Parts: sequence; structure tokens; C-alpha cells
Amino acid sequence: MKSAARQTPDSSANGDGDAVPEESAIDEHSGTPESAETPAEQTIVFRAIQGDDPGPHPPDVGEPEAEAVPDGVDTETDEPAAAPEAASSEADEPEADASETDASETDASEADEPGGGDPEGDGTREDGPRETPAGRRRRELPLPEPVSAALTEALNQLRVAVKGLHFGLDVPGSDEARRAQAAVLAQLDDYVIPRVHMSTAPALIVVAGSTGAGKSTLVNTLAAQKVTATGVRRPTTATPVLACHPDDYEWYAMGDLLGGLARLDRGGTDGDATTGGATGPDGFLLVPTPRLPQDVALLDTPDIDSVVEEHHESAHRMLDVADLWMFVTTAARYADAPSWGLLRRAKERGARLVIVLSRVPAKSRDVIVKHFGRMLDEYGLGEVERFVINETVVRDGRLPEVEIAELRMWLAELSVDDQRRAAAVRATLNGVLNSFRIRLPALARHLETQVALRADLRSDVDAAYAGVLTEIDETTRNGSLLRGEVLARWQDFAGSGDLMRTLQLRRGGKSRQQGPERVPPLRSALRTALESMITSAAQRAAEDVVARWRQRAGAGDRLAATPGLGRHSEELVRRTAGAISAWQDHVTELIRTEGVTKRSVAKIISFDVESLALIFTVGLLGYGATDMTAAGAGTSSLPQRLLRGLLGAESLRGIGAKARSDLRARIGLLFDEEMLRYVDVLDNAGIPDEAAATRMYQATYNLEVAR
Amino acid sequence: MSAVSMAERQYGLGTRLAALSRIVELGQARVEPALLTEAAQLLLRAGDRMKLSPDHTVVALAGGTGSGKSSLFNAVSGLELSPIGVRRPTTARTHACVWGLDGAGPLLDWLQIQWRHRFARASALDKGESRLHGLILLDLPDHDSIRALTDPEAHRLIQAADLIVWVLDPQKYADASVHRRYVTDLAGHDAVTVFVLNQCDRLAPEEEAECVADLADLLRREGVADPQVVATSATTGKGIDDLKAVLAEAVAARRAAHQRLEADLDRLMLRIAADLPEIRHVEPTVDGVRRAGLTGALCDAVGVSALGEAMENVYGVRSIDWVGWPYARWAAKLRPDPAGTLRLGGVKEEIRGLVGSTVSAQPAEVDNAVLSLANGLSADMPEVWQRGVREAARSGPGRLTEALSRELAQVAPPLDRVPAWWWLLKIWQYLLVVMSVAGLAWGGSILAFGVFKLGRPPAQLLGDVAVLPWLGLMVISVLGLGLLSGVAGRNSVLLGAGRERDRLERDMRRRVGAITKDMVIEPVEREMRRYNEFFDAMATANR
Repeated sequence: MKSAARQTPDSSANGDGDAVPEESAIDEHSGTPESAETPAEQTIVFRAIQGDDPGPHPPDVGEPEAEAVPDGVDTETDEPAAAPEAASSEADEPEADASETDASETDASEADEPGGGDPEGDGTREDGPRETPAGRRRRELPLPEPVSAALTEALNQLRVAVKGLHFGLDVPGSDEARRAQAAVLAQLDDYVIPRVHMSTAPALIVVAGSTGAGKSTLVNTLAAQKVTATGVRRPTTATPVLACHPDDYEWYAMGDLLGGLARLDRGGTDGDATTGGATGPDGFLLVPTPRLPQDVALLDTPDIDSVVEEHHESAHRMLDVADLWMFVTTAARYADAPSWGLLRRAKERGARLVIVLSRVPAKSRDVIVKHFGRMLDEYGLGEVERFVINETVVRDGRLPEVEIAELRMWLAELSVDDQRRAAAVRATLNGVLNSFRIRLPALARHLETQVALRADLRSDVDAAYAGVLTEIDETTRNGSLLRGEVLARWQDFAGSGDLMRTLQLRRGGKSRQQGPERVPPLRSALRTALESMITSAAQRAAEDVVARWRQRAGAGDRLAATPGLGRHSEELVRRTAGAISAWQDHVTELIRTEGVTKRSVAKIISFDVESLALIFTVGLLGYGATDMTAAGAGTSSLPQRLLRGLLGAESLRGIGAKARSDLRARIGLLFDEEMLRYVDVLDNAGIPDEAAATRMYQATYNLEVAR
Repeated sequence: MSAVSMAERQYGLGTRLAALSRIVELGQARVEPALLTEAAQLLLRAGDRMKLSPDHTVVALAGGTGSGKSSLFNAVSGLELSPIGVRRPTTARTHACVWGLDGAGPLLDWLQIQWRHRFARASALDKGESRLHGLILLDLPDHDSIRALTDPEAHRLIQAADLIVWVLDPQKYADASVHRRYVTDLAGHDAVTVFVLNQCDRLAPEEEAECVADLADLLRREGVADPQVVATSATTGKGIDDLKAVLAEAVAARRAAHQRLEADLDRLMLRIAADLPEIRHVEPTVDGVRRAGLTGALCDAVGVSALGEAMENVYGVRSIDWVGWPYARWAAKLRPDPAGTLRLGGVKEEIRGLVGSTVSAQPAEVDNAVLSLANGLSADMPEVWQRGVREAARSGPGRLTEALSRELAQVAPPLDRVPAWWWLLKIWQYLLVVMSVAGLAWGGSILAFGVFKLGRPPAQLLGDVAVLPWLGLMVISVLGLGLLSGVAGRNSVLLGAGRERDRLERDMRRRVGAITKDMVIEPVEREMRRYNEFFDAMATANR
């Protein structure tokens, strides 16, 4: 289209003189519709409105006419443009670039000459005013610098904070939180940040509704050409279609708005725009339609309640980007639950809303309209603008003009009245930023619950194992280990005289080297008893952890179902054996090195260290503390007295303390390795970052301040 | 449909339902509680439905608001029974039209249809409509309007009806509320589902064909094997006869109720079986090897063999006091005693006092042994069942330890028992000692009086030198006898102790085995039998 437009100034380089005959030529042209155009009067209405459009540069006396020329040129180019679409669409891109540079030139030239634009030749003058409509739009009206910078900074910070959220644990509600996070990110990227920067950009009206409501038909009719396919199959629209004025085309093609989505090319080569092969909701089709007024664009979305769920997501994503929501429903669907869900969202977001009630049978129109109106009043949406469209025959994918006259007028008013449009856009933007006040803290709170849950799960593990350790402490102190085989072996050891044989008198250098023969069985019995106590305790702790986790609904349940967590690990047995025999060796070593025998005793008696270590261990484990012995325990048990006599009370106490603490340390080490399994499982589920929540709150606060 | 085959089919369903109730019983705490609740509800519903009139078929017209259910209802019944309106949503309460009222009352009560919404159609009125005799047609409220969010009437009746007719229209036939919530769930219910595309008068003929084909495709994609789609228009009357034909067929067969219940049962079994592995059978008895293993482990926990050894050794040591040769004993006492040097006085007596204590079992080892048995048995089972086996095996762990201790304390011999024959031997030894002493004294006196001529012997015998060799021989033989008897006594003590020990160990093992059988094996076997029964019931119900 631009190329065609470019040709005409050459032909009409003569200047004003040709303006009038051009107009009359145009009149004739528009009188004879070539490609199913709207009636002639529409075109004239357009031109009149555009002629009155005030531009940022002061209009000269000669300007209005000059402006009429380029507008006429514009409409003239529409007709030939309709035919060689293919050629122009390919040429569009380079032309767009060229025209952009043109525009900047004209901008510069305009800036140089604030007042009358007559000098600089007719050629540029023809170019200038003609280019200005588009150039004017592309020039931004930025907010005052400091505010904008602070706001941009706050928004960027917010974006980073939202992106940094990670919901790993499966707390009830984490799915929704993830979806909400994605939605907020998409909205920030596609809408808020671009919008804040370009407040004079065209307003985007998103047409949404249930499947079969007639959205595509409506968009086709308003655009006066078939931009999107309609049909009887449900659901119909799969890819969103954005119909805008050609002047706004670059804005939508290149701009940051809807930056996250791909722009798709038109598939057909003729005037029809089809959705081509099913291209899915990650992109949208961009179609320039000259019949739409400038500064507004219509976006046809997929439905919100059909079987294909991707459509719902795509529709909601498009609505997040909208400046104005146009909600389409029908006489049969106006009480459907998904529709009212959409209305509720609009109310929560504070978005500007327009409701279209379509496919209303003529004979029951009043009843339905009144009923619907009452429902809206009850819901608090009574002030929203409403349009009603009767049920008619759809021809060539479009409704008859008479039905949508009101709607078209409203659309035209919106395009013309800059202030009203800007007010609507601002209202929606404010509504979105207000909604952030609620949505973002909700995300942060959810993250906090995740952090709390993880802490709870971890403390469960710690508590279980700590409890078991306390039990072990008690068991090793009160003699309850001295049962069964240990007791039998001890009785064997003692009763058969080996106990006494541990002590031998030193006879002049010759001492019996051979240790008593009942020592190894007693030693191994002690080892077995300790090992089984530890494994049994570890098993109990594992079951305890799983039981506690299962009580925490949601994540705990799922984690508890990981196989193998309900028992102690397989290597525990091996490790325990190693640890206990090491401990026994340690005790022997202690007695050998630190068992300082009283000098008086050492001169006379030598003793077998191994057996003494065993006696010591039995004493350590609380021999005599229970009612195991028939004889009264008296003041202290036999092993204690024996050892005290040999080694001295002080020394005995010291060795006892060391041995006990060493045992505790080794058991603690074993249990730490056991706990690792659970911590690994927790870590695999994702470690929530505690700082992210505070960052989120901070960013929200900054945003409020910057506004 | 002959009575035999109907009864057979009923019987088939009956056995499956009985199996399901068994599953609910056995699956407590093993299957997700939500599924069990659903199963219980299904059983309740099936029981009620099968008791109520088998001659009637309940057909429900379900669908979204505005699809034309009430219009269809009126068209099929031929009367203006259900109010149609343009305001949405319209139908608030279910309307029912009955062909052939006999016996329908209780059924309608069970469906909770209000009295003023029940209509009866006397079949005598229409000549050609007798084929619909036995039909109960329900006009349900919708399930997708905002009112339905709070009113579960449609949902309840969709679960309870025998045959469901989904009424769709060209605007709404791809709505998620129908497909996601019901059609995909009930995809196995082909036999009892009919799809109707209403309001076909709004479409041109080729559009209608396109719609029908698209709907059939959509249904097939969702798992409905062979979708029946009837195109109707309630306003023009097109397709109503086809619909009536389908209904008449279902009513005449009188199978709809069963088919519905069977389909529901199939769907429920699918969900229950989803969590479980393929059905497995386990040996319901614990084999001898495992039993022996458990007994052995528990004996180790008690220390049976150690006890035996201890007893043997201690006997041996103590017997020295009693049956050992006194001279050897006294000589040993002369050896310097370390304990005495250490002034540990009284230690020896205390040691002797040690050996009279009781038998007890190590709780940790008992636990481990029982657990390893449970784990070995349930290795193939799913996690939930493994837990169950473990709990069953552990059902009396503390009690097990105490029981073992108690039982075995009765058996263990007090280690300070002194058998009678030791006394005899001791007396014999002392007698020999006295004789040897006497002999030595005699010899001494002979030596003194006879050899050294120290004085006159009081008696002739005492100074007779010739007796000396005989005396010497006698003393030596007495000493030898004493030694021999000492050795013999020792040996017999050892032998006796060995036998005693064997007997003790056998006895203890037997008792341990008996206790474990009672307290561990029985519960575990019960649990495994339960497992088997559960999966048998699953197999029956699944068929």
C-alpha cells in the first residue's frame, strides 16, 4: 500500500491544484465498489472525520485541504491496493523500513519548521503531510523523564523478582501459583512495560467469549473484510487474529506490545485471510484492515470454554494484554458459568469492559435483554456499555451492517476521541497495576508456605532421629542391653572362673600370655547386641519420619511415598558393624594406655587388657542398675569395684566418660548418614529461596512508590 | 430376552458386586479411602436400583443450558409438560414423564423427583406408542450455568440414570463442561449413552452434515468407541422419530440398568487397579525354612546356645567344689590369690552368686528378627501391603519379648542347683580322705613305734612293721581311689552336663517355636491370606 501511495505524489506533484480533481475522482471511485466494500457513505464519513483531526503541529490555512489530499490519496490507494495484495505484502516490509526513515526525516523537518510548512518544495510537502498521520502516531509522547525512569526501574525489578520465584514442593495450590506466576510474567512483558512507555499507542480491544458466540463474525463485520475464518465447526478460532489499521501495522508488527508472541504471516494470496495451517496459540496473525478506524485494533481470540484447553489459556493471555475487553455472549449462553467467570475477572482487574449480546431472537429480545440487564446489575456491572445484536443470516462470514451500526459508531468515537481513549487505556493500566497489589503478595505468601513446609519436613527428620538417639542413650545406661545372649555369656565368663583368671600375679617376669578362652564369645555377643540395638533404632526412626511426613498433606504424602524411605538403608548394617568393632577397639586402647594402675597394684598384678575391656564395657552398659542380679546391687556393681580397685576411681571415671562420648559420637555419625537420604529427597523437590519472597514484597512496594 | 439369560446376567453382575463388597471390606487401610467410599456408594446405588422396578428404564436428558432439553422432552412425550423459556437458565427442577405408571412410584421416590413434576402417560391413549412402555423420561436442569455451580441436581441424576441422552446444539457441542466432566469419564458407557444434536433447523443441510461428522470425530477422539449421533430439531419435529426408536429399543431390551451398573463397575475397577500391580498370589503359609530361620534368630536373641554353654561350664566349675579331690582343692587354695591381694574381699562369693540369675530376651534383636521375616515374605507386595504385613508381625513385639523371657525362665535350670549324687560323692571323698588320714596315722605310728622304737605301741597292730607295706599299699590305693573317683566324678559331671545342655536347648527351642507360632506366624499368615483374598476378589470383580 505504501508503494502505491508513493507513486501518486509523482503523479500529483503539481500541488494543491490537483487536490480538487483528485477528490472528485475519488468520489467516483468510491461510488463503484470493487471488492465488496462498504457503501460509499462510509468512506465519506471517514474522510470528514479525518479532515477534522487536529495534529500536534498547528494547522495552516492551506493545511486542511492539503490534508484532504493525502487522505484522499490514501483512500484511493485502497482500491488498487485491494488487488495486488500479494505484491504489496512482500514489499511491505522494506517499504515499512523506508517509510519509517521517511517519517523520521519528516519529523526532523517538521521540528525544524514549527510554523508554516509551505517552503521546502511541493514534493516534500506532499510527502510531509501525507506521512505525518503515520509519523505523528509514531512520535511518542513520553511521560516526564524522572517518573518514567523510576517506574521503569521498579517494573524491571519486579520482573526479576517474579522470575526468580520457584515453586518446587507440591503444596496444595502450587500449580495455581505457577500458572499465576507465568501469567504475571507474560503480562509484564507483553503489556505493562510496553504500555507504560508508549501511552499514545493504539488501543487494543480484545474480543473474547464462549465458543460459537460469534466473535469472529463480529470482527469480520467490523473490519469489513474476512480477516478470520468462521464456520459451523466448534471450536473455530484457534489462532488469535489482530486486525488493525494499516498505519498502526508497524506498531503491532515491531513493537514490544505482545512481544512474547510470534507474528504470523497471512496464509492466503487472495483477499481472504485464513488462519492457514493450525498454528497454535503461541503466535497471532496480524492483518491490516483499512476499514477500521485508526488508533484502535481488534483482536479475535479463541474461546474460553471449549474442549481444547489451550484455547482458554490463549484467550486469557490475550485478555491480559488488552486495553479494553469486549465480551461477546449469546442469548443461549449468557448464564453460563465460564462466561460469568470472565466477567468476574474483568471486575477484579478493573479493566474497561464492553458487553455484546449477540444472536438474540427478535421476538424475545426484550425479555432477554431485561433479564440479562438485571443479572448484570445484581453483579455490580450495571454501568457497563451494552450492545445487542439480533439473530440474522451470516453472509460470507459477516453480519449485515444494520445490526452493528451502533457498535461501529462507538468504535469510531473511540478512535476519534483521543482523550476518551487515553482515559480508557489509563484506567485499564491502573487496574492491572492495582491488581498486582493483590496477586504478587499472594505469590510471595505461597512461596513462604513452601519455605515453611520444607522447614517442617526437615524438622520432622531431625526430631525423629533425635528422639531415637535419646532412647539409645537411656538404653545404654540402664542395663537393658544386658539380656539374652550377653547375659548368658557374661555368666559363663564369670562363673567359669575366667573372670578371676584375668588377674594374674606377676611371678618374677613370667606371666601367662594366653588370654582366657571365653573372651571372644562375650565380645561378639556384646557387639551383636549393640549392633542390633542401633539397627532397630534406625528402623524405628525411618518409620517415624515416614509416618510424620505422611501426615502432612500434599507434599509430605508424595515424598513419603518414595520407595525405600520407610526402612533403614542397606549399608547401615555394614557401617554399624564397622563402627561398633572400632569402638570396642577404642575402649581396649583406652584401658591399655590410660588405665593407669595404681603403683601398688601394678607391681604385683598384671592383667589381660582384652578381658578387662570387656568387664569395663559390661559395667558401662549399666550392669547392676536393673534388677538383673539376684544379690542386691549395693553401692556399686561388681565390675565397677573390680576396676576401681585396679585402676583407681578417678581414672575409671575418666575412661568411662570418654568411652561413652565416643560411642555417642559414632552413633550420631551413623544417623547423620541415614538422615542424608531424607535431606536428598527434600532437596530434589526443590529448595525454595527464602529471599525471593522479601524481594517480591520490596519490588511491589517500590512499584507503588514509583506510581 | 429370555428369563434365563437375564437371570444369568443379573447373576453375573451380582457376583461382581459381591466381590466388590469384599474388596471394600478387605481393602480398609490398603486402598485409597476415596475409592473405597465411591465403591461403597456404588454398591448402595446398585443394591437400590436392582431392588426397584426392573421393568422401567430411566432415561435422562442432559446437556447445557439452552440446548433444548425441555423442548425435546415435550416433543417426545407429545405434551407441553416442561416449560420452555428464553431466559437462561430455564429448568430448575427435574421433570419426569412415565410411560406405564405401575411400580414406578418407588423408583421416582428414589430419584427424588418432586410430586408436582411427575407426569404419567397412560399408554392407552396412543396406539403406536406402546413400544415406549416402561420408559421414565427425565428432563434435567443444566449443569453448566452459574446456578448449577451451587445446585448438584443434574450431577446427581446423571450418576443415577440408566441411559443418558446428551442434548447438544450447534453452538455448544464442543463445550468443555460436557466433554471434560462427563463424556471422557463415561467413555466406557457406550451402550448407555446417546448423543443428540438439537436445533438442526438453524443449520443448512450441508452444515448439518458437517457438524454431525465433526461431533462424531470429537467423540471418537475422546474414547467413545462407536458414537451414536442423532440430529434432531425440536421445533420442526425432525429426527424425533429416530430418537424415539432408539429409546424404544433400549426400553424393550430392559438391560439399560444393568449395563449402566456394569459400566460404572468397570470404570471403578479400572481406577482401583491403577494403583496396584498386576494381581499376584502369595503363599499363604510360612514355609518351614523361614520358620526355622525365625526360631533360630529368636533363640539367638534369647541366647539359648550361650545359656547351654554357660550352664555346662558353670556346672563343671562348681562341681569341682563338690566332687573334686579334696587334696587338689586345698592345694589350689594355697596359691596366692590376686583378688585377696587387691583386697576385693567378697568378690568371689559374689561371683558365685552371679550364676543364679534369670533368662531374658534382647528386645532389639527380637524386633530385627521379626522384621526380617516380614520383609522376606512381603518382598513382592505393594508398599501398602508390606506395611500391613510388618504391622501384623509386630503386633506383639513387647509381648513377645516378655513371653519369651517368662516361658524360658521356667525351663532354665537354676545354675546353683546341686544334684543329690554330688553329696554322695562328697561324702565318699571325705570318707576316703578320712581313711587315708587314718592309714597315714597308722603308718606313722608303726614307723614311730616299730621302726624307730620310740616306745611301746598301745596296740600290737600299731607297732607291727610287717603291716607297713600293706598299710602303704592301702594308703596308696585309697589315694588312688580318691583320685579316680574324683576324675570319674568330674567326667560324669561333664557328661551329665552335656546331656543336660542338649536337653535344655531342645526344650527351649521347642518353646520358642511354639511362642513364635502363636504370636508372629499366625498374624502374618492371616495377613497374607487377606492379601490373597483381596486379589481374588479383584479378579472376580474385574472379569
